[in-house]
Amino acid sequence: MEGRALDGSRAVVRRPDVPLRSLLPLGLFFLLALAFPFLPLGERAEYLMQIAFFTLVAGVLALSWDILARSGQVSLAHAAFYGLGAYGFALLGKVMPWFLAMPAAALLAGLISLVLGAVTMRLSGMYFAIATLAFTEVVRTIIQNLPEGAAGGANGLLVPALLGGNARAQYFLAFGILLLTALVSLAIRRSRLHHAFAAIRQGEETARVLGVSVVKYKLLAFFISSVLAALGGVLYAGKTFFINPLETFSLANSIAPLTTSIFGGLYTTLGPILGATVLRVAEEVLHNAIKNGYLVVYGLVLMLSILWLPRGLMGLLRRGKRGGDV
Amino acid sequence: MTVMAASSQLPAASQRDVVLWAEGLSKRFGGLLAVQNVSFSQYDGEILAVIGPNGAGKTTLLNLLSGVYRPSSGRLHLLGRDVTAEPMEARCHAGLGRAFQIVRPFPEMTVHENVTVGALFGKPGVSLAQARERAYDLLERTGLAAHADKEAHELTLLQDKRLEVARALATGPRVLLLDEVMAGLRPGEAQEAVELVRSVRDSGVSVLFIEHIMPVVRDLADRVVVMDQGQVIAEGTYHEVTANPQVVAAYLGTEEGLHA
Ligand SMILES: Nc1ncnc2c1ncn2[C@@H]1O[C@H](COP(=O)(O)OP(=O)(O)O)[C@@H](O)[C@H]1O
Ligand SMILES: [Mg+2]
Repeated sequence: MEGRALDGSRAVVRRPDVPLRSLLPLGLFFLLALAFPFLPLGERAEYLMQIAFFTLVAGVLALSWDILARSGQVSLAHAAFYGLGAYGFALLGKVMPWFLAMPAAALLAGLISLVLGAVTMRLSGMYFAIATLAFTEVVRTIIQNLPEGAAGGANGLLVPALLGGNARAQYFLAFGILLLTALVSLAIRRSRLHHAFAAIRQGEETARVLGVSVVKYKLLAFFISSVLAALGGVLYAGKTFFINPLETFSLANSIAPLTTSIFGGLYTTLGPILGATVLRVAEEVLHNAIKNGYLVVYGLVLMLSILWLPRGLMGLLRRGKRGGDV
Repeated sequence: MTVMAASSQLPAASQRDVVLWAEGLSKRFGGLLAVQNVSFSQYDGEILAVIGPNGAGKTTLLNLLSGVYRPSSGRLHLLGRDVTAEPMEARCHAGLGRAFQIVRPFPEMTVHENVTVGALFGKPGVSLAQARERAYDLLERTGLAAHADKEAHELTLLQDKRLEVARALATGPRVLLLDEVMAGLRPGEAQEAVELVRSVRDSGVSVLFIEHIMPVVRDLADRVVVMDQGQVIAEGTYHEVTANPQVVAAYLGTEEGLHA
């Protein structure tokens, strides 16, 4: 039977999946980020470049976390993959050039994430979150207790400086990694992965009854997310020269991408990036304005804005529009 | 549809092939045997109704068929293959579609995206562009065209029920399971739904439906299976089962009554 409509309205308006104009704000962000090092930054250039670098890294961390969250997996293991990237790069960087050590460390983190993904496959909600948190502790404990000669133990590890410590080159590398993360995110949005992730998140059993291979797509989400998080970890390690287990695998590194994505706008590409930018800048400004207790103010601002903006910053940008977040 | 072309080319005898064969299915919830040793067959192209009072075990039976529950005992064969051990997604790929009694839209997706999920993953090898196109066609066919861009949580319950059917159809089933999709419809709407089910069957899909509205069962069902307290108590044409004293007894004193 051909399209005979029951309500008499035969024609349906067919729209593109992702309208191109919705990518405009994202393009604008990357243009600004690309131009940033060329701005007259004055005598504080070094400090500003450093803030900007870590803003890009925070964006990588948040957006990669969001990609996993899209599949309904609200993880507290992001610090683990960030840290595995950092440690993987520190160790592999001793035996191979940086441009090989970087993808190798990321791939390693991605493979390890498949183990976590398989173990937590049947967990959801709080149980999933706790299991991923425990995983981070396990990874940290293992690295801390490896012989000092292997991974530096509790004291930490020296890392070969990325790109000879050239701040501008490092910034462009971080820019490239964030751009890569955004392109992966957009590619997912335009592919079957987006539909699989969203279906699993909004009704796992229903998704399976509709034929979605949940195991496959959940693992894929873990792999992609962890590879990108690990690249963020490489940037961090290569910038700081020195990493230790407590700071690298800190709870803060697992929580930050979560709050950043919620603040910016969940399940979008621009949201986590914008969230990271606004929060990093706000934190820096507050830190300089109120030396003592800036974290209290920062926390309050974050809390209130999450309460007032149910869809994050993206909710402001996309007021009145529905469906198909970009 | 290729399925239809294939089956209409088969000789008459094999058109009576069994598409679904339940063999002594049981499901126990703690002390309660919700489904008890249920056996039945469904033939290719047949519209089969499952009726019975509330709590008879009809929805539980559908959960066993679609793989949401594993049976405590018994086996299930789909298109000649034993699928008892197969998970939900494999049964869907093999040709089983299901619309839920308690509607389960993906709330943050648009109506069109909801149906796209079924079209995209219901069978392997469908591209996103094909799935989106097919979903639009199905929205037109099920009367949801005007609501394509609404988010699913904005629909009324009746529209949600249509969405359930559209999404299940989108998976390209050979056997479609419908769980009380007509409950709450006004007579005119129920008639439209009956037409839709007929057209689905005419396109080569066998339909198993659970329904309380007896006129719909009478109009639509080739054969009726009656359940009570987890067991099949009668099976036959509409007139055979409604004349069966055991069936009448099962419905006596229930709210819905046999001729509701
Ligand atoms: N998940 C479950 N856990 C425990 N009992 C259940 C569950 N699902 C259904 N039941 C019970 O099984 C019986 C049959 O329920 P159901 O299959 O929903 O009946 P019907 O669809 O025929 O109205 C009822 O007594 C119901 O309470
Ligand atoms: Mg029921």
